Amino acid sequence: MRFGGSNLVSSELNSENKTEDNKMENKKILEMKGITKIFPRVVANDKVDFEVNAGEIHGLLGENGAGKTTLMSILYGLYRPDGGEIIFDGGKVEFHSPGDAIKAGIGMVHQHFMLVNKMTALNNILLGYRTPKDPLMDYEWARKRVEKLSKTYGIEVDFDEQVINMSVGEQQRVEILKALFRDVKLLILDEPTSVLTPIETEKLFKALRRMSEEGLTVIFITHKLKEALEVTDRITVLRRGKNVGTLITKDTNEKDLARLMVGREVEIVIEKKKKESGEPVLRIEEIYAKNDRGLPALKGINLTVKRGEILGMAGVSGNGQKELEEVIVGTRKVEKGRLIFNGEDITDYGVGRRVALGISCIPEDRIETGMAPSLTVEENLILRDYVKFTKNGFMDFEIIEKHAEKLIDEFGIKTPSPKVAARTLSGGNIQRLIIARELSRNPVLLVASQPTRGLDIAGIEYVRKRLISFAEEGKAVLLISEDLEEIMQLSDRIAVIYEGKIRGIFDREEADLEKIGILMSGGFLEN
Amino acid sequence: MRIKVEKRLETPKIVYIIIPVASILTSLLFVGVLLLAIGVNPLEAYGVMLSRAFGTKFGFTELFVKTAPIILTGLAVSIPLRAGLWNIGAEGQLYMGAFAASFVALYFYPPIIVLPLMVLFGLLAGMAWASIPGFLKAKFDLNEIISTLLLNYVAIYWVEYLVYGPMRGKEVYNFPYSDLFNDYAILPRFFGTRFHVGVIISFLIAIAIYILITKTSYGFAVKIVGSNPKAAEFAGISRKKIIVSAMLIGGAIAGFAGMMEVSGLHLRLRAAVSPGYGYTGIPVALLARGNPLFVIVAAFLFGLLYVGGSAMQTTFGIPVAIVDVFQALVVLFIIGGDFFTRYSISFGEKGEKR
Ligand SMILES: Nc1ncnc2c1ncn2[C@@H]1O[C@H](COP(=O)(O)OP(=O)(O)OP(=O)(O)O)[C@@H](O)[C@H]1O
Ligand SMILES: [Mg+2]
Repeated sequence: MRFGGSNLVSSELNSENKTEDNKMENKKILEMKGITKIFPRVVANDKVDFEVNAGEIHGLLGENGAGKTTLMSILYGLYRPDGGEIIFDGGKVEFHSPGDAIKAGIGMVHQHFMLVNKMTALNNILLGYRTPKDPLMDYEWARKRVEKLSKTYGIEVDFDEQVINMSVGEQQRVEILKALFRDVKLLILDEPTSVLTPIETEKLFKALRRMSEEGLTVIFITHKLKEALEVTDRITVLRRGKNVGTLITKDTNEKDLARLMVGREVEIVIEKKKKESGEPVLRIEEIYAKNDRGLPALKGINLTVKRGEILGMAGVSGNGQKELEEVIVGTRKVEKGRLIFNGEDITDYGVGRRVALGISCIPEDRIETGMAPSLTVEENLILRDYVKFTKNGFMDFEIIEKHAEKLIDEFGIKTPSPKVAARTLSGGNIQRLIIARELSRNPVLLVASQPTRGLDIAGIEYVRKRLISFAEEGKAVLLISEDLEEIMQLSDRIAVIYEGKIRGIFDREEADLEKIGILMSGGFLEN
Repeated sequence: MRIKVEKRLETPKIVYIIIPVASILTSLLFVGVLLLAIGVNPLEAYGVMLSRAFGTKFGFTELFVKTAPIILTGLAVSIPLRAGLWNIGAEGQLYMGAFAASFVALYFYPPIIVLPLMVLFGLLAGMAWASIPGFLKAKFDLNEIISTLLLNYVAIYWVEYLVYGPMRGKEVYNFPYSDLFNDYAILPRFFGTRFHVGVIISFLIAIAIYILITKTSYGFAVKIVGSNPKAAEFAGISRKKIIVSAMLIGGAIAGFAGMMEVSGLHLRLRAAVSPGYGYTGIPVALLARGNPLFVIVAAFLFGLLYVGGSAMQTTFGIPVAIVDVFQALVVLFIIGGDFFTRYSISFGEKGEKR
């Protein structure tokens, strides 16, 4: 009755499976009643009723800024609600901190992980946990327990590896194990798949299903309707802080969900005309660079981005994309090789000079590099051009505000005012802010890393259209994305990166998913 | 009953006002107990403190005279703080400024250029002293807290060496003083008190710095570096330049404070040019949260402590150490109070599950 194709199998299992029974009875594990949360000038949650059954996977959907993270943060004890009550596992609860929530059996994995980089996975999992031999650490006992959990749910992690050396996907698995280790009954995952590769996503879904079979309850936030339809039992949609409906997954479809989320019909049609590309804008010649750990990350990259084209770069993340982005922006040192921008050798130019030449970038690390969290929205919107917004060395606050108002409107950034700290925006709106800033600079070249990650449907459509029209205006885009669908949809040419090398470049017409897939995983094509 | 500590995600603005006020009141309370213990009525003592500072012309102008250097050192800490740096070295920068200005006052000629040169050399000496930790931080990421702190001792002992040795005056008997400055090396005074023109300049500097850091593109760049160094780099702002320049500006202001103290107050170079103004600048900057206008307010508070402290000393024979204790307590409570801006505390069972 759940995950799509396997209907028969699971209904056969029903009679023997206790948790499935629970589900049939619709035993509620969580009831949030009339939850209201008001931030200055924003009603993030407006009398939300939200119910979750024991043992189900419950999807939570909604546009950027709809209030999903806020609702879950309230449940997890990070925020106190301004109204409403929470009934969990049979009793009324009031959490004052995540510690309380964990004790009651609720775990949450945030989109931004909270791990200690220089510690091993095992130590991170144990952090703050009292083993039976407390105050002594019982590693023996802990390791056995974690390994058992890992096996039960099929969540693989190298426990002795330091977090700093892990991929994002692996870090996420550590976070999940950390929660499971504390015997949670309910696990909240806030946009877990936005940082995962398709293969990792599949693995995560398998683990979620295992959890559900074991009687654990999961709340899963996502913007990808397909995923929600694939893995959940029920789906709740939030719109502007209100619950606009809880649906049974098997009775709904993408179109209905989209309509419920946005409040009107949405249809994503993106047309990309075939275009003759022009002169080279950026020539990357035999570039070598190291990563943060001092190991070779780029091993002789050759690539040309031309005027009027979108060059898609496909590849599993961690194969040098981030380093390449930084080399072009100018924040990473080049070991060897040259960068030619519009005929000018910019290899030794600093960041500021490249900004002035018209190189824009939507960085992969939005929060870490893309913005200054304590500065206001309007200040963040001029972060890379602030010099242009001065008069005789003095900031021109009037123009800065006008500029911000224009971009907020144009890019649909949800914020109560241009003067609030950017840190208070929702994840997707921070993303919009950065995109708005980088596109509005009117650059010649745009490096866009995962530009639609974390955006809602309307946002994705808007950004993709902007990228296309941007290229049509005769500018150049280097689109770095793990989302092959996005790459295929937008790119004129597609380059595949693997272990710091370009393994193949295709024209859009000759590219097919199979070939790209082989190259992305390090294989070779036969001629 | 259980005490619960929770991390605040949102800090109401009012907390930023309540906490400092509460910190000060709490330290008043503690010092009151101390005063009681040595047999002094705390209310009377505080009364003397206030009436001295506000009741007499001498006391009132003295309040300004003591506040001025604290404004300057408060600024010297605040500016680097906005870029995310701890300048613990304002004291040393002040001493170097005092030394350089005194050197000019005693040995330079002709009179007409001496005062301007004292200012210039005071600024430059403070800057030079601050440039060392700034440079070390930018180049080698050496912890500026340690380097600025250690350089204080070097500067203080350097001045001490000078006034016991090469720069000791001819007519000072055995005191560690230089000769008195000539009139042309002394800042003009007003009202027949020690209120000198440096006080007014200090206020003007605070206003100028306020404009610099809130209205100019330089101030904006400093703010970005303080908020997120990686974003600053991404925005093409050289973190190193900002670090060094913020330290230089801070050092220059502290250096000017040193010049002002010798030329406006002591009228000579001596050991103990400052009773620790450089360190007082740290809680001042913290209280003011790096805002130069608030620095003025916070500096007045500590100025009052200095003036009132000496009044208490003369009236009740309270050891001067009590004033230091008072200051230390205020600092402790402010730092402790900062905890409450980040965490909230609640009591009782009602928060528990079921
Ligand atoms: N700490 C805060 N202070 C002020 N406003 C906030 C704060 N956190 C969230 N908000 C506001 O509440 C609203 C809901 O934000 P929330 O993060 O819950 O959205 P979301 O549904 O998770 O969106 P996204 O899909 O973009 O992550 C937003 O408009 C946001 O600006
Ligand atoms: Mg969110």
